Amino acid sequence: MTEFLTSQFGVSIILAGVVFGILQGAVAYCIYFERKIAAWIQDRCGPNRVGPAGLLQPLADGGKMILKEDVIPGHVDKNLFVLAPAIMFIVAFVGFAAIPWGGQLELGGKLVSIQVASPDIGLLYILGVASMGIYGVVLGGWSSNNKYSLFGAIRATAQMLSYEIPMGLCILVIVLTVGAIRLEDIVLPQTAYWSDVIPKWNVFLHPLAFIVLFVTMLAEANRTPFDLAEAEQELVGGFHTEYSALKFGMFFLAEYASMITSSALLAVLFLGGWHLPWIPWAQPEATGIAAVIVKMLVMGGKIAGSLFVMMWLRWTLPRFRFDQLMRLAWGGLIPFTLGLFVLTVGLLYFDKHQSPLWTLGGNAVVLVLTLAVAGLSRRDVTGRPASLPSLEGRSLTHGRLAGDVS
Amino acid sequence: MTPSTGYLLYLLFAMGGAGLYLLLPQPGKSRALPGVALSVLALAGLLSVLAVKVIAPSDTSAYFCLFSAIAIFGASRVITHRKPVYSALYFVLVVISVAALLVLQRAEFLAVALIIVYAGAIIVTYLFVIMLAQQSHETVYDTRAREPFFAVLVGFVLMAAITGKAVEPATTSEAKIVTAQFAQQNLAGAIEGLPEGNTADVAAALLTKYIVVLEIAGVLLLVSMVGAVALSRKKIPVEGHGLPTRPLGQIGKEVEPF
Amino acid sequence: MIRDEDILELEEPKLSAAERLYLPQILGGMQTTMVHLGKTLLANKKMTVQYPEEKRTLRLENYRGIHRLNRDEKGRVACVACFMCATACPAHCIHIEAEESPWDDREKYPAKFDLDELRCIFCGMCEEACPVDAIELTPHYDVVGRSRDEMILDKEELLSIYDKTADVKPRKNPRITGYPEVGNRSEQGPSDEGEGL
Repeated sequence: MTEFLTSQFGVSIILAGVVFGILQGAVAYCIYFERKIAAWIQDRCGPNRVGPAGLLQPLADGGKMILKEDVIPGHVDKNLFVLAPAIMFIVAFVGFAAIPWGGQLELGGKLVSIQVASPDIGLLYILGVASMGIYGVVLGGWSSNNKYSLFGAIRATAQMLSYEIPMGLCILVIVLTVGAIRLEDIVLPQTAYWSDVIPKWNVFLHPLAFIVLFVTMLAEANRTPFDLAEAEQELVGGFHTEYSALKFGMFFLAEYASMITSSALLAVLFLGGWHLPWIPWAQPEATGIAAVIVKMLVMGGKIAGSLFVMMWLRWTLPRFRFDQLMRLAWGGLIPFTLGLFVLTVGLLYFDKHQSPLWTLGGNAVVLVLTLAVAGLSRRDVTGRPASLPSLEGRSLTHGRLAGDVS
Repeated sequence: MTPSTGYLLYLLFAMGGAGLYLLLPQPGKSRALPGVALSVLALAGLLSVLAVKVIAPSDTSAYFCLFSAIAIFGASRVITHRKPVYSALYFVLVVISVAALLVLQRAEFLAVALIIVYAGAIIVTYLFVIMLAQQSHETVYDTRAREPFFAVLVGFVLMAAITGKAVEPATTSEAKIVTAQFAQQNLAGAIEGLPEGNTADVAAALLTKYIVVLEIAGVLLLVSMVGAVALSRKKIPVEGHGLPTRPLGQIGKEVEPF
Repeated sequence: MIRDEDILELEEPKLSAAERLYLPQILGGMQTTMVHLGKTLLANKKMTVQYPEEKRTLRLENYRGIHRLNRDEKGRVACVACFMCATACPAHCIHIEAEESPWDDREKYPAKFDLDELRCIFCGMCEEACPVDAIELTPHYDVVGRSRDEMILDKEELLSIYDKTADVKPRKNPRITGYPEVGNRSEQGPSDEGEGL
């Protein structure tokens, strides 16, 4: 029995249970903090009635979700209607398996990874699982047999397909820089230091890729400013209009779970995973149980920071219009990340891909080039078709009627 | 491998083909029940024959049987289901179970690439189109299969030929090697020797030995992409050269002043 | 019909390269929200009133809560049953039955005065219409009842609300207007009417 418990398989199974349990709670409290942060930003208090400071609110919400009547409308495609939230939920939680939570633990003289599974293709596994999340949205929207749901689903599909491309390119930039796609192998090089001071986190090499990856993750998780799929003003509730009770709750939890997955991926790729400079427990050499706990806390802190920025953005920004959203992906982010990709390949050829001077300079060059191209091709905000007659003589520019002389 | 096993396999394929033919959507009364019975019998027989005669017993052969049964079930539902959305979803099921088979063969990279490319992108696009195009009621071309008999015949004769060739006793020396490799491929032996991670090996093989093939595939994709762009940019002539037909300023219905 | 010259074509401003990058604007917005978040958290500047424990200070003069029927100086109902409020009420929630007044300073008084608080939209038109300032809206807003009947207030209930709120908000204009003083009464009306005085 002890042998089983100290083997990698045993640790993986225990960790899977622990991570799943913690994440359920974390997701519930994400919703609590989302409401709190929204309240603070809007000069309010947020939930504060259930328990001290409202801390038991998630339990109350969960109880409500479970006890409510679970309506399956008569006009829906029943099989897919039930399947859709399940797909969402499973996909959102399966992705956690490949995240390295806390380096390695020494157990009975052997080193075991604090990771549920360590597939050789860890990064691709997470991408593949995440790409399956579209099915939940699509099926939920289609099976609802409701035109608003269908619109929401179609928007979500187009959006997720489009933003997967710049997301993949950003990840490729890091894969090329580090030269690995196993997630621990991406963390380990980041634990070294430049001149013993600055940790070699990838964010210092490719800050622009970091920002773009964050943006695409917002889009993949259907978060503001990219939450076109559930634009309340236009689409009632989007793809989950017809859902109620626990099925709606599963959609809700899945959204936050996928936010946590993408935040964890962001931390691993750019922020050094569980590594924190100058803390002896958060170094790869430390393998004791205390070190593992500290590392998990560091990882959790990085995830929480990313989640906070996501929530902060949600309560700051209005929603994109759909054509702006598509133009941002296809006209903005994809060429830009392609530029970064070409830059990284070029630096790799000259073996300068680990030198911050070269990568930062290259980033600046790509940014300036993009801005120059954008500045040269100034366009209307709405892109009024050129085939329409000109507005010359009867247009209102900045509040004044140009042709109105009376 | 005795000849009797081969004949047994041919019989099973014929059974499967007949079952699938009965299952294919056709006008008239439903013949689903005998079709399901025949197909399930054939599938169970095939898997048991394979398990007993071909696959060496190992701890993964149960998984192999499970996932291949799911894959075959899903594939038959793709062509027999009357609703196109369900067909597309069964296609996803096929892709996922084939990916699982690839993982059993330690080809993780291929498995995940299959999922990302097929399930994550291509079938979603199919679904997208189906969702946009589908009418509320079933259409004629969804409820009746085209040339069901010949399609089933060709498909199952091909499958029988391939499988029969694969399990028949080798005669020539070249075939012996193939068969020997096939026998080794039966999940237990050869795989143990493979390294833990083989993504680098896949990449190395692609970029050295198969570089020409890779380049040709890339050029093909580029050509098809250019073609898609060219097709989608085709201007649809609108009366009045893209201008709105009524003069600008008359939007919607004309309403009498009140 | 919409004519061409009625239409204003709006030309949207062109965005500069920095604006099309979105990031400067987004950072500006994030700064604004962060300032608010910090103020709320650190300086505890919350706009919320924790209702059952705390209550907002209301402007007595014009807050429109539940109605009351005022009493005059002698403690009688001030209403003269002129039906102005019932006529003005857009929700038709006032029901008055008038009878001859037992007092000699007015002709009529309300024998019944029912006000359906569930139909009322608290617009204050009754208060505006009343010539003698008999019906008024009070700052008392937490009105509850367990049935619809309970929410239809009769004359006594409306008067009792006056008794409860008179200290907080005294009657606006206690004098009964529109009726002449006793002394010059005979100049206006016929003499037989004056007999009651």
